[in-house]
Amino acid sequence: MKKIFSTVTLLILIIAVVAACSSNNSNTTPNNTPNTGNEVSGEPKQGGNLIIAVASDPVILNPNYAGDRVSLTINQSLYSPLFQVSNGEKTFYLAKSLELSEDGLTYTLTLRDDAKWHDGEPVTADDVVFTIEKIVDENQNSLLRENFFVGGKAIEVEKVDEYTVNFKLPQVNPAFEATLLQVFPIPKHVYENETNLEKSDKNNAPIGSGPFKFKEYKTGEYVSLERFDDYYGGKPYLDGVTYRIAKDTNTANLALQNGEIHVKYVDPQDVSTIEATNNFAIYPYEEGRLAYLNFNQISDTGVLNNIEVRKALSHALDRDELIQVAYTSSDYANAAHSFLTPDGLFHTNDVTSYDYDAEKAKQILADEGVSNLKLRFIVSSGNKAQEAVAIYVQQKLGDIGVQVELQTMDASAYGQKLNAADTTDYEVFLGGYIMGYDPDAYRILFLSDATSNFSHVANKDIDALFLAGAGEGDVVKREEIYKQVQELIAAEAIQYPIAYTKTIVAVSNQFGGVEEAKLKPVYIFEDLSKIYKK
Amino acid sequence: MNQLIAKRLLQTIPLLFFVSIVSFVLIKAAPGDPVLNFVTPNMHAEDIERVRHNLGLDKPAYVQYFIWLKGVVQGDLGYSLVNHKPVLEQIVERIPATVGLMSGAIAIAVILAIPLGLIAGSNRNRFVDKCINMFSYIGISIPGFWLGILFIYFFAVKLGWLPSMGMRTIGVTSTWDVIKHAILPCSVLAIGFLSVYVRYIRSSTIGQLKEDYVQIQYAFGSSKTQVLKRHVLMHVLLPIITLLGMSVGDIVAGAIVTETVFSWPGLGSLGMTAVKGLDYPLIMGITLLSSVMLILGNLIADILYSFADPRIKKMR
Repeated sequence: MKKIFSTVTLLILIIAVVAACSSNNSNTTPNNTPNTGNEVSGEPKQGGNLIIAVASDPVILNPNYAGDRVSLTINQSLYSPLFQVSNGEKTFYLAKSLELSEDGLTYTLTLRDDAKWHDGEPVTADDVVFTIEKIVDENQNSLLRENFFVGGKAIEVEKVDEYTVNFKLPQVNPAFEATLLQVFPIPKHVYENETNLEKSDKNNAPIGSGPFKFKEYKTGEYVSLERFDDYYGGKPYLDGVTYRIAKDTNTANLALQNGEIHVKYVDPQDVSTIEATNNFAIYPYEEGRLAYLNFNQISDTGVLNNIEVRKALSHALDRDELIQVAYTSSDYANAAHSFLTPDGLFHTNDVTSYDYDAEKAKQILADEGVSNLKLRFIVSSGNKAQEAVAIYVQQKLGDIGVQVELQTMDASAYGQKLNAADTTDYEVFLGGYIMGYDPDAYRILFLSDATSNFSHVANKDIDALFLAGAGEGDVVKREEIYKQVQELIAAEAIQYPIAYTKTIVAVSNQFGGVEEAKLKPVYIFEDLSKIYKK
Repeated sequence: MNQLIAKRLLQTIPLLFFVSIVSFVLIKAAPGDPVLNFVTPNMHAEDIERVRHNLGLDKPAYVQYFIWLKGVVQGDLGYSLVNHKPVLEQIVERIPATVGLMSGAIAIAVILAIPLGLIAGSNRNRFVDKCINMFSYIGISIPGFWLGILFIYFFAVKLGWLPSMGMRTIGVTSTWDVIKHAILPCSVLAIGFLSVYVRYIRSSTIGQLKEDYVQIQYAFGSSKTQVLKRHVLMHVLLPIITLLGMSVGDIVAGAIVTETVFSWPGLGSLGMTAVKGLDYPLIMGITLLSSVMLILGNLIADILYSFADPRIKKMR
């Protein structure tokens, strides 16, 4: 009898496991161009509701305070930016033009005169001035505040006429355009009597100027938006957009396959499963992100303070192999050599690179008299890419006689360790950043006294070049400065750049207009009004 | 009886105070920094310090605790550190979803566990008992998240019978739609509870069947079904009352894993988000509420016990 029960139990378990794993084994090769599967052909139609998966509730539906990916994504549909930049090209939204005075100290922003808030009021210069004033107001606690200070002095903002605003800078600062990119004006007539904008009830029913207006928010379930017919960019095709909160990635992938979700970020490892349904187009796109190995120069062993050791470690790793391990294919990540990402200004991949050469790595260590080298690699548990890379690094460095100890910890402990200014009990971690298109934004990663200087590098030449770049008004000279910084940081092997990673988004074949809507880092789509149901 | 209730309720106050201190110490001892929720690479050090100051996180931990405690005494559970919404409002908003899901699951589990436990106990070591046992062991051993994913795969993706996640279809407001969404998470939870309840009832039944009064009933010519229905059933309900009393805390705390897997908008998934963000006012609020419910649940169970078994009343 016992045998029968064991057999029955075993059979049930085997059937369950096999059934769960059996389908979708097709090993589809990912494409660089979107795979459109069984597209539903047809012209753009008016109507339809697009459901986009998001991983959590939005923190706040007010662009002056949004810092998390979900809030930023939803705010992008509710609120219009002044302008956006893709591949160096400006696309104007609420603004019509942005001009810089000859002395490089005054920016003049002209607004379009046909934009309206969702309650029908016109968008004017007063709204832009009000928004900036609230960002700069210390009591209002906006996350963007410090960006409006140059050399310790606040940028002055003044209304010229109903649709023109001047920004006066205390000193030349070409990176100011990148600051304006982050501004999504909020309506003065809605918020002017609120004492605390962050805790205001008005954020629960936001009035924006974007292509979709707020309809309903059910916490833990979804945020629903409906078409704004008076959108200055033309009436959006869709009736509405719903951001569905799906906290578990595995469930969200199943809901995507089941047609309950139309748009979702997918991991490279899940692409073949989603493609196999033939119901989705897969879009990998540059998100301006660099994945890199960070070398902590102030670890208590002091080993990574030696440039030759950092060079040896770089020589021991095979970048292409690493990309395969972490991102399954080079289609989802391009090899990186510079700390600047290709979508930004002045990027060049033509810098010193310590490529794979295990013998050379061994030789350098021998020449330096370094033996029995031990490194501590900190890993955030549950992060698939980090775990895969850490194991690869452990194996490859093992080949040159370097012992790597993996220290796995939960995400909170990991975050705290990285952000503490003086953590000395680890040597390596896998980092990633999206810093925006102006190279000045990267200085906080490399300046000696910067908050996010995770390598703890202290190099006077790097400091001087970044400061010179920030204040240089001449584009040619500025480009030269940032090329020098890229070369210097690469030559010093301050970090080991792995790849410029891509975001992968699956979009249901029932919807079109993805090219026109422009895929955008963090926000998914730059302009949702262009998406239509086929 | 009234005295007993009053005494028990008074005992609750120091207990809750103790629970709040332990929770607070544990949250503060955990590695991590809630301010990191707000830190983006573009932020300057001054911005980060300003955020810390505005959240009151630059004060010593004991000062933070007493500020929180003062608020609680005045009926104010404070604001979430992450979204700045009142904690009480967020908890109240989520209670119906969680209570509905958990009570449904517990009710199904009890309704099925009683007959299954009785059958298993009265047929000890026979084929039917072994079958029930086997399924109950499987139910206890299978992790909820895995069973959840498996159910979604079969019933939502493969068979298309039920929705895979959430509590309602967007734009649909019918009760039937909510029930359809609840079937899968409710089943996963019910299987977990059922497996435990069946084990309790089975062993209780086995114990009762050995008692003299059962033997006498058989001697008087009662059938097995009659004995089980009229006599044993009453006695095996006692452990169920205790189990239900202990489950009242669960009803409010929610099923963290199951709610997260099914994106069910209840207190469990809210708690998960709060823990991930080290959002201590929200964590404290949920802990306090579930402690109150657990204590009340046990009190109610004790009262019911004294009705079901008058010997206990006399002992007091």
